[in-house]
Amino acid sequence: MSDLWYSLPALAQDIALTFALLLPALLVGALVLRGFAPWPLTRAILWRFRGASVMFVLLIAISVGMGIGLLAQERGLRRGTAQAADKFDLVVSAPGSELSVMLAAVFLQPTDMPLLDGATYDEIASHENVSVAAPLAFGDSYGDAPVIGTTAEFARDLADDRIEGRMWQASDEALAGALVPLGVGESFTPAHGHGDAAEGDAHGDAHLRIVGRMAPTGTPWDRAILLPVEAVWEVHGLANGHAPERAGQIGPPFDPDYFPGTPAVVVRAEALWANYALRSEFTRDRETMAFFPGAVLAGLYAVLGDIRQVMSLMALVTQGLVAASVLLGLFILSRLFRRQIALLRALGAPARFVFAVVWSFGAALLVAGAGLGLLTGVAAASVLSRVVTARTDILVTAPIGWSEIHFLAGFVSLTLLLSLLPAAIVLRQQVVDGLRA
Amino acid sequence: MGLPLTISELVVPGGKGRVLLSLPKLELPAGALVGVRGPSGAGKSTLLYALAGLLEAEGSIRWGETELLRLGAERRTRFRADNIGMIFQDFLLFEELDAGANAALTALFRPRRERAAMRLRASKRLSALGLGDHAGRHVSSFSGGERQRVAIARAMAAEAPVLLADEPTASLDRASADRLIDDLVHLARDSGTTLIAVSHDRHLTDRMDRVLTITDGALLGDEATAA
Repeated sequence: MSDLWYSLPALAQDIALTFALLLPALLVGALVLRGFAPWPLTRAILWRFRGASVMFVLLIAISVGMGIGLLAQERGLRRGTAQAADKFDLVVSAPGSELSVMLAAVFLQPTDMPLLDGATYDEIASHENVSVAAPLAFGDSYGDAPVIGTTAEFARDLADDRIEGRMWQASDEALAGALVPLGVGESFTPAHGHGDAAEGDAHGDAHLRIVGRMAPTGTPWDRAILLPVEAVWEVHGLANGHAPERAGQIGPPFDPDYFPGTPAVVVRAEALWANYALRSEFTRDRETMAFFPGAVLAGLYAVLGDIRQVMSLMALVTQGLVAASVLLGLFILSRLFRRQIALLRALGAPARFVFAVVWSFGAALLVAGAGLGLLTGVAAASVLSRVVTARTDILVTAPIGWSEIHFLAGFVSLTLLLSLLPAAIVLRQQVVDGLRA
Repeated sequence: MGLPLTISELVVPGGKGRVLLSLPKLELPAGALVGVRGPSGAGKSTLLYALAGLLEAEGSIRWGETELLRLGAERRTRFRADNIGMIFQDFLLFEELDAGANAALTALFRPRRERAAMRLRASKRLSALGLGDHAGRHVSSFSGGERQRVAIARAMAAEAPVLLADEPTASLDRASADRLIDDLVHLARDSGTTLIAVSHDRHLTDRMDRVLTITDGALLGDEATAA
């Protein structure tokens, strides 16, 4: 049986699971409604209590929508951060916190980091399995935009080779990320440091010109200005990575003797397997640390996974509570149509018919609320995504996925089963008391 | 054709040892039109509800061959669906439905194959009661007399052999009440339905074959009328 299950395509499994979750409700519905046509009465009752019904539907929709929106958002955030780390196969830095280095290198969060020296960089760059070894130089900014020195090859790779204008060719030329408010041809002077602590006039004599604009990447790098790493070294009054006789060179190879140091090197291997070999090779006590940002993120998600479970549980409990209060409200409402219920019994309606009317009233509210909740969830997730994207520059898209559909199916099934309760309580009322009420 | 009624040693208890109604013996032939009168709280409605099988009681209530009190709750309900139509003082219609849907209300819980025939009968009853052109109107726009006619059409849609009416004219003005009494009596007589009507309205009770008087839960009078 489990072999059969695992042999199914993922889509079939998702659809089957949704169906399985809905099955109890469908079965109960079929059993309750079999042979009857309660809908005209259900519609009449819905119409009579339209105000309360609309309130109930909205209440359910908002609670379901928030639950779904949060779950979708959380997944979208994970996916967005993973995507942001996509271009960073392996990062080598001085030993320290992998998380800090990852935040600095991938998400451009400023942090003080020790530098790798020229010999170490050279060893990495000249390793037989390394195809790209891009030094990253952080620390400067222009307005909100971090200014990052690196190599043309890495910049091109980051933008998937989609650059409007052209690549830099001299150390006073730069590329703007898609969200940087500088156009091609405009000049700027980088400030030393970031934010309030930035020293605007520290590099007063450096004038750099934007010569190209990178296509959007959906990462914090969209907000960055990229320039040749030589330029960063030069504005800090350091050697520019090349021997004096080749001072005008831009890009690798760098001369270890004139290499001022880099906080991190982004490495791409010739082959996937080589990444693992490189990681173990450059993980050395007190010298270098090599890690996969993807793996660090995965570790982070694993820690957050527990929180996600708590969140899901909380969303489920909240929705359960809303559903319970709706069912309670339903029961109170049913006291209001007690005479009609008694009338139906007096006219010879079987208990199951009366049960079907009350249950389908509750079911209509719950299903409408859940449907509207799905739409609310889609809207909430899209708004949250925009807010998160605007705040973090990490492109987060949070389409509703199967796990939300399953969550919703479980909710609908459970509450439709629970709404059997008020329907059963209504049946216990005395017919004659109801007629005289 | 109506059902005959035989009651013997009927006692409807009211809790705490009280007796709401005690009726040692009563026999009504099929198709009889019977009025029930008496002061308020005397037990008239209790009798009606007991005859519909809606109250627990001791003794025997026999409709034709059916001993009502021996039936379980659901079988009584089924008996009611097949054999008893009920009419109430305040009509008890579904205000959100039109006249046709109200008259055919009991079709909703009938087997699918019977529903169309039931709707047809309900619509014929409405026509016979002068509401044929208004079947599509919502009953909320109807006058009291019209509403009670819809209730009668509903009670008679299943061609039940017994009709139980609880103060059917009490919410109507005199003219409407008189027209309704005419219609009710004609319909019952034409179809041979056994009609038991609890009423304070002499215009109604005078049109019955017999009038029972109930006081303090006991049958104090049983007279044939001039009708």
